[in-house]
Amino acid sequence: MTVHDVRIEVTPLQTEGMRDVRGDVVRRQLIADHGIDVGIVRSICGYLIRSKYDASSITPRVQDIFSDPIIEFGAVDATLIHDATFFPHTPSLCVTVGFKPGVTDNPGAAANDGFQVLFPDVNAAISTYTTYVFTNLPETVDNAWLASTLHNQLIERAILATRDDISSGNASVITFPERPTIVRQSPSIIDLEVADEELIRLSVDGLLALNLTEMQAIQAHYRMIEHQTARESVGISTNAPTDVELECLAQTWSEHCKHKIFASKIHHIDTETNEDSIIDSLFKTHIMNPTHDMAKEVDWLLSVFHDNSGVIAWNDDWSICMKAETHNSPSALDPYGGAMTGIVGVNRDILGTGLGARPIANTDVFCFGPPTWTGELPSTLFHPSRVLRGVHAGVRVGGNESGIPTVNGAIVFDERYIGKPLVYCGTVGLMPRRLADGRESHEKNPTPGDAVYMVGGRVGSDGIHGATFSSLELTDESPSSAVQIGDPITQKKMMDMILEARDACLITCITDNGAGGLSSSIGEMAEYTNGCEIDLGKVPLKQEGLSSWEILVSESQERMTVAVAPKDTEAFEALAALHEVEATAVAEFTNSGYFHVKHGEETVAYLPIEFLHDGVPQLELESEWIPPVQPEFIPPASFDNTKLLEEMLARPNIASKETWVRQYDHEVMAQTAVKPFVGKERDGPGDAGLIAPIHGDSQGIVVSCGIAPRYSDIDAGAMVAAAIDEAVRNAVCVGVDIDKMAGLDNFCWPDPIESEKTPDGKFKLAQLVRANRELERICRAYRLPCVSGKDSMKNDYGVWPNKISIPPTMLFSLFGNHIDVRNTATSNFKQHGQRIYLVGNSKDELGASEIAYHLTEKNLAEGIGGNVPRLPEPERQLDIYRRLSKTIQDGLIRTAHDCSEGGLAVAVAEMCIGGRLGAIIDIDGIGEGDSFSRLWSESLGRIIVAVDSEHEMQFIEAMSDADIHLIGMVTDTQNLIIEDGYEELIQADVAVLTNSWKEALDMTGGV
Amino acid sequence: MTADVRVAVLFGFGINCDRETAAVFDMVGGTSERLHVNHLVQGNRSLEEFDILAVPGGFSFGDHLGSGRLLGNRLRFALREQLQKFVSSGKPIIGICNGFQALVKTGLLPGPENASLEPDLIQRASLTLNNTGRYEDRWVTLEFDSESPCIWTKGIQRIECPVRHGEGRFVMPTEMELDNLSQNHQLTVRYVDPSTDSGTGLSDDLLPFPLSPNGSMRNIAGICDPTGLVFGLMPHPEAFYTMWLHPEHTSMKLNEDEWEGSGLQIFRNAVEYVRSQR
Repeated sequence: MTVHDVRIEVTPLQTEGMRDVRGDVVRRQLIADHGIDVGIVRSICGYLIRSKYDASSITPRVQDIFSDPIIEFGAVDATLIHDATFFPHTPSLCVTVGFKPGVTDNPGAAANDGFQVLFPDVNAAISTYTTYVFTNLPETVDNAWLASTLHNQLIERAILATRDDISSGNASVITFPERPTIVRQSPSIIDLEVADEELIRLSVDGLLALNLTEMQAIQAHYRMIEHQTARESVGISTNAPTDVELECLAQTWSEHCKHKIFASKIHHIDTETNEDSIIDSLFKTHIMNPTHDMAKEVDWLLSVFHDNSGVIAWNDDWSICMKAETHNSPSALDPYGGAMTGIVGVNRDILGTGLGARPIANTDVFCFGPPTWTGELPSTLFHPSRVLRGVHAGVRVGGNESGIPTVNGAIVFDERYIGKPLVYCGTVGLMPRRLADGRESHEKNPTPGDAVYMVGGRVGSDGIHGATFSSLELTDESPSSAVQIGDPITQKKMMDMILEARDACLITCITDNGAGGLSSSIGEMAEYTNGCEIDLGKVPLKQEGLSSWEILVSESQERMTVAVAPKDTEAFEALAALHEVEATAVAEFTNSGYFHVKHGEETVAYLPIEFLHDGVPQLELESEWIPPVQPEFIPPASFDNTKLLEEMLARPNIASKETWVRQYDHEVMAQTAVKPFVGKERDGPGDAGLIAPIHGDSQGIVVSCGIAPRYSDIDAGAMVAAAIDEAVRNAVCVGVDIDKMAGLDNFCWPDPIESEKTPDGKFKLAQLVRANRELERICRAYRLPCVSGKDSMKNDYGVWPNKISIPPTMLFSLFGNHIDVRNTATSNFKQHGQRIYLVGNSKDELGASEIAYHLTEKNLAEGIGGNVPRLPEPERQLDIYRRLSKTIQDGLIRTAHDCSEGGLAVAVAEMCIGGRLGAIIDIDGIGEGDSFSRLWSESLGRIIVAVDSEHEMQFIEAMSDADIHLIGMVTDTQNLIIEDGYEELIQADVAVLTNSWKEALDMTGGV
Repeated sequence: MTADVRVAVLFGFGINCDRETAAVFDMVGGTSERLHVNHLVQGNRSLEEFDILAVPGGFSFGDHLGSGRLLGNRLRFALREQLQKFVSSGKPIIGICNGFQALVKTGLLPGPENASLEPDLIQRASLTLNNTGRYEDRWVTLEFDSESPCIWTKGIQRIECPVRHGEGRFVMPTEMELDNLSQNHQLTVRYVDPSTDSGTGLSDDLLPFPLSPNGSMRNIAGICDPTGLVFGLMPHPEAFYTMWLHPEHTSMKLNEDEWEGSGLQIFRNAVEYVRSQR
């Protein structure tokens, strides 16, 4: 049959009232990010259709599929740039951007879906592109630079046509991305009977990320007679691994999957205390044991650590779970695709929890370089503003298109994140406690003989080596195959289908295909029955020719692995067909004790389950704590606090992120009772997300987070304590049920293993030790179990001595119960006359504070050293939080705001902004330190509340002996006045403060 | 006997407001069912079983090729006769956000020139990218044409609720066509400046962002067909079914019986309309 290539181009009509917004956005963003006005930009969307239909048959239906008859014009087999109706003058420059071969093209897939409705052809394929037409480009703008801002050459191609090219008819046009045919390679046998240097070379060249000890452990396995005999019986190479096996072990044993540093044996020396001790697994000692201890005291911890997310009982009918992941390396290479796969990936963790939970809320926390960075950038890194735009867009599209509200998050800036941005994506899930057949939904229960389905997307060469790649530092040579683009709609269809299958009781076991692909998903599930047999020949592929190991480890997105009892397979497949979701039985559970992989009849991997999961040798690492020396922060002798407040509100770490956050749907599902922005003009900061997910029922779930990476510059332990306390404070501000809340620890660290490329590894490991010890101390005191965590341990860019390491960063996410969302609080001052109280004490703790960084960056101070905020009495703190939360639950307090970056001054200013009201504040007597530190210090444990006068006495009684300080009153003056006794420190106009806070990160370039 | 008012709430292919849309119909006495589009396409279920059809919000087919277009095509090509019959037999249809976009692109909205004509499924208007170029979630103030034939909006003058879209700018090719809709009172609901008095906010003059979140012609937020049975709007009234979803509920002091959100009346109107026709 003849195959035709047909080109369709679509451009917005230019009649009255019609606009080319897509083009105009390009213009506005270039103004916002680079201060360059490129003049009018127009856009053309292109579709390259490869099918059995020729142009004459497609032409009559162009308006039915590709172009909108009211707002667009569509042309077949013509390039619109030469159409004088739309482009009467030859443009200065056209930049056409299309995908590289093999890159996920979501618009193309959707177009093909629409095409099939009218033109059925199973072999049809559609590739899309966009042409940006610069009608009158200033000559000062470099064409190549402009093109580089419009595409990412890792995944996209750009074709430039200048005015001369176009007028001479020499402009080249983009063509269908041809993928070279690949011929499948049979599995090869890897000889491990080689010298140690050769073992290392095998690991490095193969991107296996295994060290010598691990390679030797694998070598030893193949030397054992019992294994050789077993292998002979299935006809696989007896004394050497296949490439399939080696890749499978590398994925399963990767730092990403096995958390080897957290599981290592650490020799820890503390030069301050002379401690010299051995820690056998930070994870077991400081995270798992405390949670297991707490599990003995409460009945609501249903499932911790072992599943894709931690599950707690929310009420008698429903349980909730939460997971947060990072997607740092992929986001550095392709901010948009990397971040999108981050959010849709963590959604699958929820879907893969128990027998399947429904994602009901997303969170996202990003750490970037300063968006206004003007310093040097390594050639392979994107400018921070571009990373911000790309990551934001990826998370926005992934979350919005999946129909999951983004209810909480943060964006943090520091120069060191230029080398590696941190992209944390979290998801909360909801599931019925029991299914219709009586099974508890948080427990998986597969049996040998169950069929194992791969559901959703197909397997391609994208995403190979993601797990091992993320376990290595980023370099110029980082592979593009590790990058993928998510497809939220395919995933949404799959999610709809799987939740129906769960409710129909068709699922016995489910997990997601993330890092490590089928190798990890089926491998992990096979532990339940102690064995499985996979046939890779049955796995649906995006393109033919993938070798066995690639199929096994590819991390192609949008796939779940689901086990179904034989009696239910027919119903399961029918459901998949209804939803137009691909579901293919690719394996079967056994109790053979082996991870048995075939490709057709040939056995290509045969690994004992026990060796696969428990065979990795424990790392042994060295740690040494020598306190870092930071020049002491000493505030300048004279300064204008009012002006400082305006500047502080415009600091990227404090400024409003509203234009970014509004682009996330935070209200889909009709459940969000406290939104990210609150107050009179709905632009004051929300402290925590609060949702009531059962329609008509006012019981709620609180979602909050805390992050304080710069405290690591003094002590990573303080950083962790601050992050946990901030998450709890935020939750208390909306009235969380303090007795039912759980946490997630997400560590992102620079490489803490001492080596030639990391000469300061001992110090970085000591930071990790201190961080974990504080995590245990605070969580035990707060009775806050960590139910699921994750770590990412190689967040460095480049090679020593030009290495950029991130500051050690732990995100603490919290989810907890809320008794009744009708009784909650928001940060905005509500009315004239409200009395303002500070809960908690201010201390002289300006070390690593935002004001210290601000004045140091302005060369008005020597450094950021000094007392970093600490939490010496967490038990007492918990009592204060419990009392305060209760006053909110009782409806006494409706105004509360967390006091964190920028201290009391910034917190009060934000409350004024939210309410568009003034306040008069006196900070005399709220704690130790001079007036400067009482204004700006970031001491933990502090929340500012405002109480209506009729509730004031009840509030004071309820707080009992907790430290509360009456600091002032809300006024209707539009002025914020802060005094220290008789001395006026700040007098600021609320409108001026509002502008400072809102404009700094607007970055829209105008409406 | 008061038989159930059966509501089909479509889902599948990226529709994502199906649960809350089903829930609000149940709250006002309807009996909803989330129904996968393919049940209708494959013919194992029929629209005849239902009294009301709701096409909820979401991102059907990822909004690629224009929001609502590909879902609109599925409806237009696969369900043409069922839809025409549904409308002709006097049954109400609502499209919210992506559902509105789909109804406009199928041609069910604004529909033929007058109520005596059969629905012809010809596209006459469109919804396109917001002038800002951004998808946004924000609350807006809406005011309704009190003379609109729309059965969904009877008795409602002004409400607040959120918009959540990137392609909500309502456009028609000519002023004349807008004038016709206006004269028929089919411009059912429009964005208004909340500082105006309720009942006086409707205006043809373009409101600035963010009062009009998208730059719609004549500030149009939603329209109905000439019969008033088919109604579509970009904002999400189902997302304001209760006061605790209002951005400022912590500033209100509400009694136990004051927690119903003002979005709910739209759905109650339709369920009561169906009952009244029996």
